[in-house]
Amino acid sequence: MSYFRVNENCNGCLACVENCPASALSVADQSGRRTLKHNMTQCARCGQCWRVCPERAIEFQHLLAGEWDDVISLDLILCRVCGEALYSPSYNQKMKSKLNSTAEALCPKHRQRSSAAMWPSWAVGKGHAKSGEK
Amino acid sequence: MIVGDLKPLAEIVAAVKEYKQVLVLGCGSCVTVCLSGGEKEAQQLSRELSEKQHFEGRPPKLEVGSILRQCERDLVLEYQTIPAGTDAILSLACGAGVQTLADAFEPLPVIPALNTTFLGASDKPGVWTEKCKGCGDCILAQTGGICPVARCAKSLFNGPCGGSKGGYCEVGQDTFCAWTQIVARLKKLNKLHLYENICAPKNWKPGGATGPRKRVRTGLGDGTG
Repeated sequence: MSYFRVNENCNGCLACVENCPASALSVADQSGRRTLKHNMTQCARCGQCWRVCPERAIEFQHLLAGEWDDVISLDLILCRVCGEALYSPSYNQKMKSKLNSTAEALCPKHRQRSSAAMWPSWAVGKGHAKSGEK
Repeated sequence: MIVGDLKPLAEIVAAVKEYKQVLVLGCGSCVTVCLSGGEKEAQQLSRELSEKQHFEGRPPKLEVGSILRQCERDLVLEYQTIPAGTDAILSLACGAGVQTLADAFEPLPVIPALNTTFLGASDKPGVWTEKCKGCGDCILAQTGGICPVARCAKSLFNGPCGGSKGGYCEVGQDTFCAWTQIVARLKKLNKLHLYENICAPKNWKPGGATGPRKRVRTGLGDGTG
């Protein structure tokens, strides 16, 4: 999917190619066909092509608000209680080795509950008690 | 790039409190890169401004947007939509962007949310430093690529002043003396002889001393400036 899009007004005059300051546009004339080419990595999105196009053929809005590209897709470990997405297995492995411990697959909410369940009921929600206090 | 800093929230609140609906508009170029005025910062500012405690009465309704560059009149006129009911724009662009919006969308008031601070570069992640004053007559070839106009507190042209101590400037211990740096660089470049060239008093006209500057590139637009 190209973010540089032209509409049917384009007549191949090459004003855009000639005036692109970033050399992000080029043309290939082959087998009786003219193909306009755009290189996103060179494009400065300066809008000169849009400004100089005598046919108003360049739909610059697609270079201002484009769509999202999928970059990578990874498996996820989910919270074993509620199923909330947590992290990838490789991230989990890295954290395990860094922390030298195994963390249960719990979201922050259920981790808190799980931690609280380890304390006696009188201690939960009372803050720090002084020695001898209950 | 152009570097900017968000104004104090109280100043922004004072500037927007009289309006009912404000478009908080980020700019997608320099101030996005220096993390002060892009879409994220516009969203964050909107969240902070929507706190009722900042306003005596009802806070203005806030819409958030961002455009690639606020400093191009034709671009903003064609592609920046102003939501119906907007009675002011709060711009997170540099001063050039704010003024372009003010011209393009007159009579809608355009309020700056940033202080435009300098032309600078990022020396390391999270730090931007001033490198250029846009003086219009670059002498970096003579000074080893270090600008005495921007980086010497006195913009001296012929070596350091008496306030240079241990490589630092008298204005503060975190400010390097530009001329100490220039001499060190010229040594490394084996061009220390350039230091002996006496610089004549600078002509500040190209630096804007005679009024706002303009660049006209023939072959684009109607060429009239």
